[in-house]
Amino acid sequence: MNKFKKISIIIILLIILFFSLYLAMYAGYKDFGINMLCKAFNISEDTESIILTVLRYPRALKALIAGCCLALAGMFMQSVSKNPLAEPYITGISSGAGLGIVLSILFFNSSNYSLFGFIGALISSAIVIIFSGLSKFSITKLILIGLSINIFVSSLISLIILINPLKSYMMMLILSGGVTNNEVISNKALIIIFIILMLITALFIPKLNYLRLDSDLLSTDKNRRYLYTIVIIILASLLTSLSVFSAGILGFVGIIAPQISRMLFGQDYRWLYVSNILLGSSFILISDYIARTIIYPLQVPLGLVIAFIGAPIFVFFLIKKGDIFSD
Amino acid sequence: MINIKNLSYTVDNLKLFENANIQIPQNHLTIMVGPNGVGKTTLLKIIAGIIKPQMGEILVNNKDLFYLPQRIKYPQGITLQEYIESSFYKQNWKWFLTKEEKDKVNEMLNILELTDKKYTLIDNLSSGELQKANIALGLISEAHILLLDEPTSNMDLINQIKILNMIKKLTQTGITCIIVLHDINLSSNYGDYFLGLSKEGKIISGSKKDFISPDILKKIFGINFKVINNEEDIHIQICN
Repeated sequence: MNKFKKISIIIILLIILFFSLYLAMYAGYKDFGINMLCKAFNISEDTESIILTVLRYPRALKALIAGCCLALAGMFMQSVSKNPLAEPYITGISSGAGLGIVLSILFFNSSNYSLFGFIGALISSAIVIIFSGLSKFSITKLILIGLSINIFVSSLISLIILINPLKSYMMMLILSGGVTNNEVISNKALIIIFIILMLITALFIPKLNYLRLDSDLLSTDKNRRYLYTIVIIILASLLTSLSVFSAGILGFVGIIAPQISRMLFGQDYRWLYVSNILLGSSFILISDYIARTIIYPLQVPLGLVIAFIGAPIFVFFLIKKGDIFSD
Repeated sequence: MINIKNLSYTVDNLKLFENANIQIPQNHLTIMVGPNGVGKTTLLKIIAGIIKPQMGEILVNNKDLFYLPQRIKYPQGITLQEYIESSFYKQNWKWFLTKEEKDKVNEMLNILELTDKKYTLIDNLSSGELQKANIALGLISEAHILLLDEPTSNMDLINQIKILNMIKKLTQTGITCIIVLHDINLSSNYGDYFLGLSKEGKIISGSKKDFISPDILKKIFGINFKVINNEEDIHIQICN
């Protein structure tokens, strides 16, 4: 595929992102229309401004961050494991981060839960890697151990919520997924961590182009390969915990965004990086728009909408371009 | 010079090597022959440093090794050029390759006669072309020792000869090649030095003149051979 075609796809994805940002911020029950865009730069004390700054902007921000992080975390995990099913949700890293946050809500009253989320995500990914590395390392084992940890930790979270009814509301938000204002982390901190994380991530993208070579072919360069793999898994855990802060535990996004990107761009990770950012964030932004408008004033859980629109889109792409998965 | 001293290696109570001493000359094509399951791949991996033997030491002059396994998986959806470029992302942190690196890829494609396939997706290349691409990866990594496990398997005769000619040419540019090959006639025509692994766990090594003889071949394969040697060409026939 030539460069021109790739750039045109990126432009289309960019347009989709801008459209979904518009939907997330200015459309809905209180429809602002395109001429209200100027509100963004001219915040005053009227109702519209308050709706925008208090409700819509933070929500859009969280959806955007969650989408980017989940798509990139999925891409990272699929690239190092060379398995299309590897994803933060399935491998238990999301629920590890969730458990960290839930425990910190339980034991601390401060609003600074971020550290515990990171620790939770790191511990669960470490457990997955160490357990799958014991005896003989295998990718299938990694997925299955991750799956077990996911089920175990999710049940643990449910149990904690059940026996702590006083704090259950906030914990439920983490578990069920959604970008409503959950106060787990302040917006400013979220933006700063997100930008730093994206920069570090970008630094490691070319390494994925090296790791796409068969691991047996790199066996004389084993130490470097292990180092890169570990750094990339740590980055995936950090991205995952950031996504859990902003939108709770969401599945599936980490599979569809990276896989659709791969079908569009092949396996040059520099293109995939851009594509995953655009696709992942648009996907959650649109899903959230649907979640809050489809049966207004009720809100459908975000995870539900993601499943409803994600599954058909994914299957469509698999039928159209799925031959890249033939062995 | 690759020097292997007192090598012993046991796997699942099966002694593959016992007290083997081998010297492999530099800048030559060394061919490893022997029946299935005698440990040819294991020996290559031991030389590459991927497997640690229970006993013995391996002294390699130059540590820049490249090991090409028998079967590998290819990343899908990238072109041949991008495949070879992959190895340049190994060290530095930049997103784009420099001009010198791109030139080097082009030069390599030229040497291996792959220039017209530059923009072909690697999913659509033949096994011979893929094998050449893998060898290109080895050359680009600036390895001085290439360890190739059956580089000509699944190839037609013409492609086998093309690959072997190319490997032979590489040895004249200061690269040491050790390859595993099953075709005994091709081996005898291309190899400078030979390693024969027999079922009894013995490693017999020798130059072409010493090695290609009915006695030694019988020790390795357990069947009778007839060697016809007319000055330049050597023909080996199986007498059963």
